[in-house]
Amino acid sequence: MSAPAVELRRITKQFPGVLANDEVDLTVERGSVHALLGENGAGKTTLMNVLYGLYRPTSGTVVIDGHERVFDSPRDAIDAGIGMIHQHFMLVEPMTVTQNVVLGNEPRKWGGLAIDRQRARKEVSELAESYGFDVNPTAAVEDISVGEQQRVEILKALYRGADTLILDEPTAVLTPQEIEELFAVFEELTDAGKTIIFITHKLSEATGAADEVTVLRDGKNVGSVTADDVTGEELAELMVGREVLFDVERPPVETGNVGLAVRDLVVDDERGVRAVDGVEFSVAEGEVLGIAGVDGNGQSELIEAVTGIRSPAAGRVYLGNSEITHRSRRQRIESGMAYVPEDRQARGLVMSYDLVENGLLGSQHDGTFAPGGRIDWSGTEAHAADIIDEYDVRPPETGATAKSLSGGNQQKFIVGREFNRDPEAVVAAHPTRGVDVGSVEFIHEQLLGLRETGTAVLLVSSKLDEVRSLSDRLAVMHDGELMAVVNPDEVTEEQLGLLMAGERPAELPTVAAPETEVET
Amino acid sequence: MRATKRFAFAAAVLVVAVVALAIKVLFPASPVTEVIRIVDTGYLASAVRLSVPIAFAALGGIFAEKSGVINIGLEGLLIVGAFTGVAVSYWLRGGEAVAVMPGVVLVLVCVLALLLVLAFLGLLGSGVRKIGTRVGGGLLATVGLVGLTVVLTDASQSATWLSFYVAVLMSVALSLLFAGVTIEYRADQVIAGLAVWLIALGAAPFASNVIWGTVNSTSVPTLDGWTVPLLSNVPVLGEILFDSDPTVFMLLLATPLSWYVLRRTSFGYWVRASGENPKALDTAGVDVRRVRYAAVLISGLFSGIGGASLSLGQVGQFIGSGSTMVAGRGWIGITAYLFGNYNPLGAFGASLLFASLEALQIRLQQLGYGLPPSLVQTIPYITVIVVLALVGRTRIPEAAGEHYDSGED
Amino acid sequence: MNTEWLPDSVAKLLGRLVDASAGERLAVSVAAVVASVLLGGVVTFVSGLFAECATPTFGPSCYNPLSVYYYLFLSPLTSSFSLSIMAEQTSLLLFTGLAVAVSFRAGLFNIGTQGQLVLGGLAAALTAVALGPVLPDGAIGGAIIATVAMLAGATVGGLFAAIPGALKAYFDANEVITTIMLNFVAADVAFFLVSTYFQKPGSGSIETRDVPEAATFSPVVALLMGLVLVAATTYLLWGTSFGYDLRTAGLQTEAAEYAGVDAKRMVVASMTLSGAIGGAGGAVWVLMAVGRWVTGVPPLGFDGITVSVLASNNPLGVLLAGPLFGTMSAGSLSIDFQLGVPRQLVGVIRGLVILFVAMPEFFRMLGARWGLGGGVQ
Repeated sequence: MSAPAVELRRITKQFPGVLANDEVDLTVERGSVHALLGENGAGKTTLMNVLYGLYRPTSGTVVIDGHERVFDSPRDAIDAGIGMIHQHFMLVEPMTVTQNVVLGNEPRKWGGLAIDRQRARKEVSELAESYGFDVNPTAAVEDISVGEQQRVEILKALYRGADTLILDEPTAVLTPQEIEELFAVFEELTDAGKTIIFITHKLSEATGAADEVTVLRDGKNVGSVTADDVTGEELAELMVGREVLFDVERPPVETGNVGLAVRDLVVDDERGVRAVDGVEFSVAEGEVLGIAGVDGNGQSELIEAVTGIRSPAAGRVYLGNSEITHRSRRQRIESGMAYVPEDRQARGLVMSYDLVENGLLGSQHDGTFAPGGRIDWSGTEAHAADIIDEYDVRPPETGATAKSLSGGNQQKFIVGREFNRDPEAVVAAHPTRGVDVGSVEFIHEQLLGLRETGTAVLLVSSKLDEVRSLSDRLAVMHDGELMAVVNPDEVTEEQLGLLMAGERPAELPTVAAPETEVET
Repeated sequence: MRATKRFAFAAAVLVVAVVALAIKVLFPASPVTEVIRIVDTGYLASAVRLSVPIAFAALGGIFAEKSGVINIGLEGLLIVGAFTGVAVSYWLRGGEAVAVMPGVVLVLVCVLALLLVLAFLGLLGSGVRKIGTRVGGGLLATVGLVGLTVVLTDASQSATWLSFYVAVLMSVALSLLFAGVTIEYRADQVIAGLAVWLIALGAAPFASNVIWGTVNSTSVPTLDGWTVPLLSNVPVLGEILFDSDPTVFMLLLATPLSWYVLRRTSFGYWVRASGENPKALDTAGVDVRRVRYAAVLISGLFSGIGGASLSLGQVGQFIGSGSTMVAGRGWIGITAYLFGNYNPLGAFGASLLFASLEALQIRLQQLGYGLPPSLVQTIPYITVIVVLALVGRTRIPEAAGEHYDSGED
Repeated sequence: MNTEWLPDSVAKLLGRLVDASAGERLAVSVAAVVASVLLGGVVTFVSGLFAECATPTFGPSCYNPLSVYYYLFLSPLTSSFSLSIMAEQTSLLLFTGLAVAVSFRAGLFNIGTQGQLVLGGLAAALTAVALGPVLPDGAIGGAIIATVAMLAGATVGGLFAAIPGALKAYFDANEVITTIMLNFVAADVAFFLVSTYFQKPGSGSIETRDVPEAATFSPVVALLMGLVLVAATTYLLWGTSFGYDLRTAGLQTEAAEYAGVDAKRMVVASMTLSGAIGGAGGAVWVLMAVGRWVTGVPPLGFDGITVSVLASNNPLGVLLAGPLFGTMSAGSLSIDFQLGVPRQLVGVIRGLVILFVAMPEFFRMLGARWGLGGGVQ
């Protein structure tokens, strides 16, 4: 038996204040697919960054093919045959597939003075073909699909002679169909003798695509098993360390009139590409309408149009019974629309402001906090203190800058600020992204609390469990359209997967919109 | 402005110019000709000459910004180039005869100093051998260039050329300072660029005052023109392009060369990647820092040529009053490359456009149409503003203006 | 900081201004000035080696850096005459510094304060000259003229700045370049207008008629105006909703959008405000310093940029940085007359200060090396 492709022995990586990897052992056999499983923050990416030479381990050794190696930079790792495909692609958008693949290793002619573009194109095509990849070598990266871009990334690694490929959360941005294609590529590659390590936090992928699974928790390796020998529940327990409950109490609530609605909504993105193509839905007061789907299918633009960040190309938006399609963002805030944005650091907070000023974000013209345009700082400070207290934001200092807070605490503060508006309607985009498990439960409780008081809630989330358990009705968005609106308690994951991929399965437990209609 | 709109605009201008010339040639007596009297080969030649500082600044700016470092201090680099050229030329003529040797020594010392600083910054690779070869090679190349210059020209012209080289080197040095400040110390690129401009804006008249007692220098000889045999006899184009300042030839060479480097060489790929997604370049194993330094130094090189061409190539003097003789050409150069969408050929065209307006303004004053000179002078500046408004959302390189940290350790 | 004696609202407001990182920024600003001045001294010394003078005064150099320092920083404070020049310069720099600070806070690089000042000053001069014969002589008439003239200056400055503001807001035209171009345009237009229509008869220079004596005022009055402006700007930026909108727009445009700020309107509004302050500064220059509009307007706009950058674009900081540069400006004339050191040295120092302030990282590293300051991030 040959030496393992990769062996990590007692790798420890210490950052100031954080022990990211704690004496981790990892053995990956050549020609296998190995999944590295764990929750957010478990240390998976850090460990792989050590393997790829982006970080130097505080202690421990890296052994490739039986030889001990020290990587000073990714270049060393690349030379040792390690290739990495990051979660956020390292591609130069305006350049072509070929140019991206050969970047840094360009074939030259005329004594190095020029790039031999013909040879480059040929080599890339041939490489792609040999692994059964489907790529257009002359297309610009910004014009191809996400799945294709990922294949370009893989080609890049292969072009540089990678024998072992590391993929960081490769399925995060793919549709279920594309995920299938990716796993097929894994098979092609391992058949050709390559080794694959992929990082994921999704149990089903670990059990489905991998031969071996290693689970990381809090920086430690808590178990390495063969995928066939283990169940999803066992893996989940290893990941989280306690039994995981996937359910939340959602008492039935009497719904009222329409709180939020859109009709025939059409929205284009920055580049003028159609992102939302004729969407229609209503959210009743006291109802949670969830929108599920893979990131990038128009959810962001939909939310932006509803909240007033972006003007729709066509269609109408309603808050209560008034049409607000062309009302400004400020008017929507004043009319009682709360909004938990997707991007907390760019949009939801001003990083250099302290929590008092961040608490004012959106309310700076509100008569309670700024009567006559003059800010009442005492009142504002008290308000921020209330949010911090209620939502357990740490450290509990109103004077702390948003930048100094962890992602989870930032998110809690934003959610607290928005939910505390006593809103008519709430638009929440990925409200528990990056939040610790205990706080996730609290936020879910608050959201349902708003629902009980008759607020209309539009919830967009890529966490299927969250959106299923919180929603009264669940819509699935694909390619700018709502595929269907279903009963979240009855729909199966397979059906959801198909919908997310753009296919309508038979026998869907659809749910009709609430009885009341907007005055069109 | 979409690319097609830009081309249409430029094409329209070209068509108008050609039609105008045609009318003048075919219908010499018509009243239209009166108006067109303004536009003749002399005018076009003048426009090409005037475009040199602007276009060189623009070309340099393209490299810098494409690599992710917005060099707003181009105006300052032009000033430094313009001043240094005249100052060194004056210095070499201090004694009885024109002293060439001190000039040679000065050039070599400057080159050596620059190379040593680059080595110190770790930009020439690691290991004594590698650095040694590169420094040695650089010096050798310089010796070759200098030797060629001295051999091919008389003492006075040699001195002027040597001053030209020193001017370029000084501009490179200042751009190196800018690169260091923005890349090593992560200064805000716009503010650092403004600082470079303001430093030069103060230092040049200051030094002028120290040397000559006023902000304007005395006169020094300019570079002799070059005439390309045969080609210069071609009607119209010949006079404009092939019988002119050497700096015009440099520009005609630098423009397609820049285009080629950016589109067809590895370095060009790296520059573009560095400005769009430096992380991608880093993980591809290329040193982003080095690429950015190189790009900024190129902007220094080109701007140095542009500035020196203004004082040593055309005017024969340094004028430091007001906003100095550079008078905003650096800013116009930036607008030119924005208008040209970071394409060297487009930038050249845009520079030509702005320069032709400047030439127009001069011509109008010459012909004495009675237009108040101060108002006529505003034409180029207002045009820049109009162009900027039309250019609108040019697609700037994704990572331009952002610092790049090549990872943790 | 013990703020118990201040009314609660003021204390809270000040607290917003002087936050934790202010200490570090102050340190960087001080370090930047020190470094620039030291470098300026070196420049002085070196250029003195090349200058021609009868007897070298400092070793082989013609220029003595220490004398330069004396004349730049200390001598302006010694005589009442030079103090008055210093007050004059300081009050003007308060205006231009605040003008720049407002725009930089809004995230806009308004480099056009000079042009706004030139045209604002011209408007003020022309208004004052026109009103002279209409209003009664004496202090009250003068005060009215001065007020109207300043308003005219502010209006014209504001409108002139609104142009690049609108171009940026609606056409995304780079405001650095447009404002610099407009500086040139302003100078040319002003020259044209004065030389053609408003030239003072019988004068050799290009200038307007003198403004009525009663409308002029002393540097002390100008200083007071400056102080009031500092307070007003501070309050506007940190005590009002508009100011919150402005600052947020300058820090994170997406967050501002989220908070309901109309980005385009804010760009135009902040540029206009900045231009108005700059234009008012021009009016003060005309009414207080020179008594008319004349070509060769001093580079107050650019010095304003230095002052603001040094002050971290904070009005209270402008209050500190203004006098520093006001003193240097006043001293620059002396170094020329007394020492023969070209006054453009101050221009060099100006550029150096901005450069050093732009790279706090540099000082942080130095500080870490020399063991200063607590934990460096």
